[in-house]
Amino acid sequence: MNEQQQKNKGPESLLEAWMKSSTEFWGSMASKWPGASGTASSKRGDPVRVQESMDSALRMWQALSSSLSDEGTRDSLLRGINSFPEILTKMIQTGWDRYFQMQQQWMEKTGKIEKRAEAYKFEDVDQDAFKAWNEIYEEEFRKFFYAPQLGLMRVYQERAGRFTDKSNLFQGAIAEFMHLLYLPMEKSFNAMQEKLEDLAKEELPENPKDYYQMWLKILEGHYMTLFKSQEYTQALGKTLGSMEEFTMARQELLQDALQSLPVATDKDMDELYKELYELKKRIKQLEKKA
Amino acid sequence: MAQPKIPIDLILSKMAEDAGKAQARAEKAPDVLLGPLDTQIAATPYDVVYEEDRVKLKHYRPVIPTEAVLKTPLLVVYALINRETMLDLQPGRSVVQNLLKDGIDLYMVDWGYPTRKDRYLSIDDHVNGYMDNIVDFIRKEHNLPKINLMGICMGGTFCVIYSALHPEKIKNLTTTVTPTNFDTDQGLLHIWMKDVDVDRMVDAFGNMPGDMMNLGFLLLNPARLMIDKYVGFAENIGNKDFVENFVRMEKWIFDSPDVPGETFRQFVKDCYHKNLLIQSKMVVGGKRVDLKKITMPLLNFYGKYDHLVPPAACEVLTSKVGSKDTEDICLDTGHIGIYVSSRCQREFGPRIAGWLKEREEEKKESRVKKPPARKAIKKKTNAKTKASSKKSKK
Repeated sequence: MNEQQQKNKGPESLLEAWMKSSTEFWGSMASKWPGASGTASSKRGDPVRVQESMDSALRMWQALSSSLSDEGTRDSLLRGINSFPEILTKMIQTGWDRYFQMQQQWMEKTGKIEKRAEAYKFEDVDQDAFKAWNEIYEEEFRKFFYAPQLGLMRVYQERAGRFTDKSNLFQGAIAEFMHLLYLPMEKSFNAMQEKLEDLAKEELPENPKDYYQMWLKILEGHYMTLFKSQEYTQALGKTLGSMEEFTMARQELLQDALQSLPVATDKDMDELYKELYELKKRIKQLEKKA
Repeated sequence: MAQPKIPIDLILSKMAEDAGKAQARAEKAPDVLLGPLDTQIAATPYDVVYEEDRVKLKHYRPVIPTEAVLKTPLLVVYALINRETMLDLQPGRSVVQNLLKDGIDLYMVDWGYPTRKDRYLSIDDHVNGYMDNIVDFIRKEHNLPKINLMGICMGGTFCVIYSALHPEKIKNLTTTVTPTNFDTDQGLLHIWMKDVDVDRMVDAFGNMPGDMMNLGFLLLNPARLMIDKYVGFAENIGNKDFVENFVRMEKWIFDSPDVPGETFRQFVKDCYHKNLLIQSKMVVGGKRVDLKKITMPLLNFYGKYDHLVPPAACEVLTSKVGSKDTEDICLDTGHIGIYVSSRCQREFGPRIAGWLKEREEEKKESRVKKPPARKAIKKKTNAKTKASSKKSKK
């Protein structure tokens, strides 16, 4: 294949051929365009704005075509096209590097989770398991929902992140609370076993209902002990708090969704109710005075 | 660890015996549950004589000749938690009917069901607004300067506040299971409430959801209220009367209106957190609630085994008011038992009616001749029933 043949098959020839045909096409279009003759005008005698902008676009294209026809410009453009695969490779390379870096970070964090799990002895699956999960969530995962959001939708994205976070915290708190509520049940069975051992020294009841009443009394006692404990009060406070925060976050998210619908949000209604309340109060006071 | 030798054979034979009974009950159950059941509550006839927003005033129709009815009517104010229907759960076991039979002209506030619109209503709006308007309405209807007032639980707290702010309109005050002293660790509610972030709660929910409060009440004793209660129901499922009464109670318990947010906020903050009422430091509608201004006779009922409003939360009131005629009555029952147990039914209504009649007659006598100056005496009596009474005429 000689040099001329190679040149014909290269990007230079393609570009040149395309430039030539497009310039010819737009040139002929421009000549046929009524505005090109300079006679087109509106009924009021002003040139039509659409035609004006079309003329200007055609002139721009012709100028661009002629500059691309220049050999020096064309060569530099072609050099850019030739280096495009190289740029792409570099971009992909950077992307991969970052991805691997992130993966490594995740691996490290997973290692940390394992360490925490060991420290709290997960195999016992007791109250500490919930504490461990809460700590892991709060230290390792939670921050992702609060990563800075950018752009036009950033406020809505922030709310969605907050909602997900509050929902997770609520789920964690309710699981811990439910577990705490189950503890007296578990303990009552153990205590019942001990009680039976004591009773066996004398005489065990024959009526199954007596066993039920015995167990119920033990259970009641364990619940009373639990309910008076600091752990329970704290868990209750935490559960209520997380439920309230989740409710508020859900409300905010719903409000965003409702804004696009012809539906009044709670916030709108609350403002209205407050005004109504204050007005009614004033009227009632005035009525009493009258 | 050696396993105790449980008499399995005896237990099994007992269970087999019980299984026979259970089968008989199970066979009867569809007839009872699917047949006609009378589970209506609040069936005593009344007229709604006053309405304001969601609030209604019920006036019960007298059941005895008008001339035998006490001249001064009694207004009953129920709590904002649950409904006043508890006082009239079933025919034959109804505080309302007992009071009517004893000659009381009875009015009762129905607070209705607050909606989100009511979230800004404060204690001031309930006490100096709705209650005051109702009291004025009754006074006008009967052409009387004063009426008798009776409060239940939180409604009692409202009555205490009202009587301190408007003593000129109240002749006699009766409080029943009324919390006024919140600085106690006797009741779980008092312990739990101390750590509640009420601001966040009200901001999140608007009004305090009734269902959430009900769940809280169930958690006060889950063993009895969530297990044993329903075991009892299953054991009596073939007994129509039992089922009817059980369903009536269920209807009342789970009929829980929401509590207006601002009222709940102030109640928790001023009462549970700061205990202002009993110290005469609470401010309602811009005025300080001075308990010394409660100079009318005061009858104070509470339950010895009340786990919601323990005796310690109720019994301090009589020593803090300005009245010279006060009486504490502690009944051997719980929070609800005062109104629904058969034993208390025999005592509660007649005792209130008798106390009111006594003071009505005293008034008549006082018109005829000037009473001698009252001497401060403190009398403790043990009632013939299981109730204990502490009477004080200072």
